[in-house]
Amino acid sequence: MTSTLTDRPRTAAPRDERRRRAGPVPAAPVRARRLASEQLAVAGGQLGAGLGNLVFATIAARVLAPGEFAQLAAFLALYLLIHVPAGSLSAGSALSPALAARARRRVLAVGVGVGAVLALLAVPLAGVLQLPAGLLLAAAASGPTAGLLALDRGRLYGLARLPRAVGSLLAEPLVRLTLGIALALVAGPLGAAIAVVVAGWVALAIARLDATGPVAAAPPAGAGATATVTVAFLLLAALQNLDVLLANAVLAGEEAGRFAVLSTFGGAAAFATTTVPLMLLGRRGDRRALHVAVGVAAGLGLAAVAVVAIDPGALVGAAFGERYAAVGGLAVPYLLAMALLGVARVLVAHACASGARTGVLVVLGAGAALQAALVLGAGDAGDVAHATLAATALVTAGAGVLALPRRPALADLAALARRQDVAAVAALTVAGLVVRLLSSRGIWLDEATSIWQAQMPLGELLETLRTVDVHPPLHHLVLWVTVRVAGTGELAVRLPSLLAATALVPVLYAAGRDIYDRRAGLVAAALGTVAPFAVWYAQEARMYALFMLLALLVTWLQVRIMRDGRRRDWAAYTVAAAALVATQYLGLFLIAVQQVAFLAALRHDRRGLRDWLVATAALALLLAPVLAFGQAQFAANEAAGKGFQQVPSQTGGDVAEAGGRPGPYAVLTNVVWAVLGYHGDATMTSLVALWPLLMLLVLALLGRGRSRRTLAIVLAAGVPAVALFALGQLKPFVFEVRYFIGAVPLVLLLVARAATSWSPRRLTQVAVAGIATALLAAGLADQQLNGDNPRVYDFRGALRETAERARPGDVIVYTPAYLNHVVAYYAEGVEARPLGEEPPRPERGGRVFVLASFLDKPQYRDAAAEAVRALDRRHELVDESRYPQIRVWEFER
Amino acid sequence: MTTDIRLQRPAWTAAGRSRRVRVAARLLLVALVPLALFYFGWLLAPERIGQPVLYGLLVAAELFNLAQAIGFWWTCAGERQRRRRVADGPPPAVDVFVPVYDEPAAIVEPTVAAATALRGADVRVWVLDDGHSDTIRALAERHGASYLRRTPREGAKAGNINHALAHADAPYLLVLDCDHVPAPGFLEATLGELEDERVAFVQTPQYYANAGSGEVPAAAWSQQALFFGPIARGKDGHGAMFCCGTNVLFRRAALDAVGGFPADSVTEDFELSIRLHERGWRSRYVPEVLAAGLGPEDMASYVSQQQRWSRGCLGALGAVRRSRLPLRLKLQYALSASYFLSGWTVLIYMSFPVVRILTGAQPLAATTADQFLVHFAPYFGMALLALTWLGGGTYTFKAFALQAASFWIHVQSSVLVLLRRRGRFVVTPKEGVHERQPRAVAPALVLLGVLVGAAVYGLLRDQDPATLNNVAFAALHVCVLLAGVLPALRSAPVATPLARPREAVPA
Repeated sequence: MTSTLTDRPRTAAPRDERRRRAGPVPAAPVRARRLASEQLAVAGGQLGAGLGNLVFATIAARVLAPGEFAQLAAFLALYLLIHVPAGSLSAGSALSPALAARARRRVLAVGVGVGAVLALLAVPLAGVLQLPAGLLLAAAASGPTAGLLALDRGRLYGLARLPRAVGSLLAEPLVRLTLGIALALVAGPLGAAIAVVVAGWVALAIARLDATGPVAAAPPAGAGATATVTVAFLLLAALQNLDVLLANAVLAGEEAGRFAVLSTFGGAAAFATTTVPLMLLGRRGDRRALHVAVGVAAGLGLAAVAVVAIDPGALVGAAFGERYAAVGGLAVPYLLAMALLGVARVLVAHACASGARTGVLVVLGAGAALQAALVLGAGDAGDVAHATLAATALVTAGAGVLALPRRPALADLAALARRQDVAAVAALTVAGLVVRLLSSRGIWLDEATSIWQAQMPLGELLETLRTVDVHPPLHHLVLWVTVRVAGTGELAVRLPSLLAATALVPVLYAAGRDIYDRRAGLVAAALGTVAPFAVWYAQEARMYALFMLLALLVTWLQVRIMRDGRRRDWAAYTVAAAALVATQYLGLFLIAVQQVAFLAALRHDRRGLRDWLVATAALALLLAPVLAFGQAQFAANEAAGKGFQQVPSQTGGDVAEAGGRPGPYAVLTNVVWAVLGYHGDATMTSLVALWPLLMLLVLALLGRGRSRRTLAIVLAAGVPAVALFALGQLKPFVFEVRYFIGAVPLVLLLVARAATSWSPRRLTQVAVAGIATALLAAGLADQQLNGDNPRVYDFRGALRETAERARPGDVIVYTPAYLNHVVAYYAEGVEARPLGEEPPRPERGGRVFVLASFLDKPQYRDAAAEAVRALDRRHELVDESRYPQIRVWEFER
Repeated sequence: MTTDIRLQRPAWTAAGRSRRVRVAARLLLVALVPLALFYFGWLLAPERIGQPVLYGLLVAAELFNLAQAIGFWWTCAGERQRRRRVADGPPPAVDVFVPVYDEPAAIVEPTVAAATALRGADVRVWVLDDGHSDTIRALAERHGASYLRRTPREGAKAGNINHALAHADAPYLLVLDCDHVPAPGFLEATLGELEDERVAFVQTPQYYANAGSGEVPAAAWSQQALFFGPIARGKDGHGAMFCCGTNVLFRRAALDAVGGFPADSVTEDFELSIRLHERGWRSRYVPEVLAAGLGPEDMASYVSQQQRWSRGCLGALGAVRRSRLPLRLKLQYALSASYFLSGWTVLIYMSFPVVRILTGAQPLAATTADQFLVHFAPYFGMALLALTWLGGGTYTFKAFALQAASFWIHVQSSVLVLLRRRGRFVVTPKEGVHERQPRAVAPALVLLGVLVGAAVYGLLRDQDPATLNNVAFAALHVCVLLAGVLPALRSAPVATPLARPREAVPA
């Protein structure tokens, strides 16, 4: 008989033992807010450390004699030379704290060795570097701390031991400021240097105080990944400093000095984001942490850019002296490069942790090679700055691709389809970008005015807009930043419009897919790729492309809100709607339609009432300054006797008479423009004659049923246009397709929906979508290639050729007078003035170029004819040139 | 186990939003009248006359359509909310007639079976077999229904019913086409209406259960849904609902008073209604799907059906004109009958671009496209809006296209009626064929060819805006015609009345 005692099963293992055998508990998902606060806390510590060190250097410069301060600066450079390369170890230990612990002895040995070598060579090096040997011995004493400090700080980042990490960061400047200044007063630069070394040891000690086990850790990374991330961060450090090293070699002395100042300035943006990727490494595998890290890095970098962009010349001048103030023009692009570097570091860290080792090294190597190649061919500091910008952009883009989610489950058909969609949409987006880039044309009047405005200081810009312009300021502010980053070249000033118009393609896909289905999304994206209007306004430095994008976004968000009622959609809608109105006041029509739709929906379901009230209040708050600005503009224009009168507009010829009240034919004309783009008068007349086909479209709507989402889009597209048509009966110029251009992407969405849903047959759907896309492509081709397009004004051709032929003493007289900005843009350096009452009289040997446009208007036609007659009486007509909508006469005495 | 699709729950309701529709109809009328006056005021100006004959045709067509449009609105505005009446007292005797003429047993049997299961009355089902089929006889016997044959087989369906009336004696008579399967509660929902002694018949909707099985039945059903929805409800409000031949419950005494079904018309139901209303009898319409049938499965069936209806209704115009109906009822009947003249307007509109391209002649003069659009577009838009709103969205483009492509049927019927040629009652086939049927749409194809040829000729000769405008009109007509005839040009799978597991049709 068996005793129950003996038969009792073995006792279970103690709970701790069971947990140990189970392995590390995976970390629970962390909320984005906490991730962001962690990042910002450590970045704050980093910034504090940098600021503290800067204050230390500033105070030291005051308390030490110039020669002594120069010695201290040299010591600090040597200190950095030892510590910066070692800093890459932080990345490895952040990724794998356990491996870092095992590498301590080796790192210590290396550090001791470096210190020993430096100590042994202190005397001869002192002679070479013209430094006291004591400073070199002090630098040698910092050798062991370099690697260890990097390892331990990295471990703290990886384990999210924030207080220790921040404490270690702040300890250095604190010790420097206290002990360092005191010793500097007593022992000069050697005392300050000793304090710097002691600060390093103190920081190390604080970092080493953490003795407890991990709070939460991602699964340990392998040695290979650790080594890769270490090497990658070394390459990133090289990328950061390669430009200044090479610039010193290739540029002349003064130019090299200018770049050195720029590099020092730019280092601030890179410095601010140093800890962000290191914090991310401890949370690898968490895509939310990646998003937060990218956001924090981008935010900090762009904040630095924004601060500097206020008045870069003044900032640089204040920091480095007035003789370097001119470098301020390059500060924004260079800081942008450093901001990109900060983002790139985050993406590289993620890519390394995800296993994309080879890719990372290839991208970084390519970036460094590109930077080196461009810098070696540089002629001035600006070239070097742009070279760095190009290299960091390349590295950021490459790292971004590597950071994309990889290897979705092939068994998941939806994921497979989505991956195919992503490839298709990416291809369409690239194609759309290429189409837009190839569709360039010369700067138009309004653009020239905007470019002139954007080059003003910020305050002057806003005042000018307030007193003489009629548009809200958002696009102007974007352009203001753009010209400071990229200059005033044609491509540069059109970059915001180009990007907005290209972004229409993926956003059309996303909206179409979300609102309807993936087929509708793909067709909408295809239509957006070749939509003539989207291409036309991609190449115009005005607000229209941005307006289209924002109109699409707010409408999409409106549909999402009416469908799901999520708060984040409300928040996004509020921001987008405010941006829409801040881009073009007429966006208020669209917002008003949407508010009515929200209210109508709330009548049946009150659950979203609170969210609507909050969102509307927030929108009102955001719009208040914009509308106040608009009110001020209106008042200023009224006081000047202008009112919101018609600005010079491109006309469609006789088809839609500008100035007459809009009628049905004007409606048809604008519809043709919106869908098929701008064309010559003959083409427009022919297209408008096909209006009976619209009856077919109306008939085809019979029995389609009612869909709230489609109705919302139809109303969003149509009501503003109808409102402007009604308003146009009083003020004819407002009924112009540019002012309800927000309808264009919505129409594309509706066409895509119709093409993919009106027939159940797949073949019919493909055929209809193909025909629609082909029609738009044909319209685009005619718009861009047909020389009869009355919207093409070749100021570029006319003025560039005139400027090339002009000699000193020549003068350009132009009519109408408002060509002033476009003349200044293309004929900078040539004397130019508007045609006045007196005929122009060139100096002896000088020539007069009469440039005239808008000759369809009698006053300008007559003025030009009169001037030409007057000149013809006393001068010889040398040449007469015709350009699209432009004529130029050249007279010689 | 699969069951007949006619036994499934109907996917449509005939009930309307009475008050909202009335209000909407009145508002639309208020909006339309000034727009119509605006358009016709412009159209009828003397300086508008281009080529006189073409102008006259245009004006005639526009006035006809205006009359139809106003009639449509007037009819729909008459919709009233009726309280459903439930029959009191013991269940009365009801004869159920199911006329059959060579339809397949699979089509007939569910109808007979369901008829024998009708609740609320003492039902006697009669299968009236003009096909003299033993299979049908056996089917009737299987379900306990009476079976009748007759010789000679004169008068088509009307004669068949009249012959059966001599054998039946119940006070009420339900007529069901052999493909219309009644719901068990059919009589419960309709007998109450006959408690008013003045009511001669109660009509219910003809629902096509096979509407989803092909393009032709879908388009045909869309047309039916417009009629049995807002139009029938409106006619009921005007007291002008007419008998539609099936799914109708009669008071036997009323039938006897007018001598039974008129056997000299291919639309015996329409003529019967006129006679009944002439004698002061009343009609009712119950907007509830109480029986499910089969619509024409293919183009040939549809054409056959439309030819019978148009011949019959146009042929009844004379009777309407001569009748002693109250004016309101007379207008209602005239509207319904004259609908089958609308094919002429389609022909007229479609001929204008051809004539313009070939000869340069056009109906209008001294006008620009801008002026035309200013006057015409609001009127056109409002008319479509009324159709969509009042029709509840049931009328589809395909239905419109099919109607347009069937224009020649109206033209043909008009000519035959004028020539006093007697029509022949042809039973609408209940099963479709899956072959192409170009002959069924030959006239429409001819017009298509003429339009395409004229358009191509015009483009080759000239590309000025006027030519392009007419080519666009031609293209518009081509697209509409093509959409209407396409089902006949495609081979389609045959839809069988087979479907999902049994699901009873609710009362």
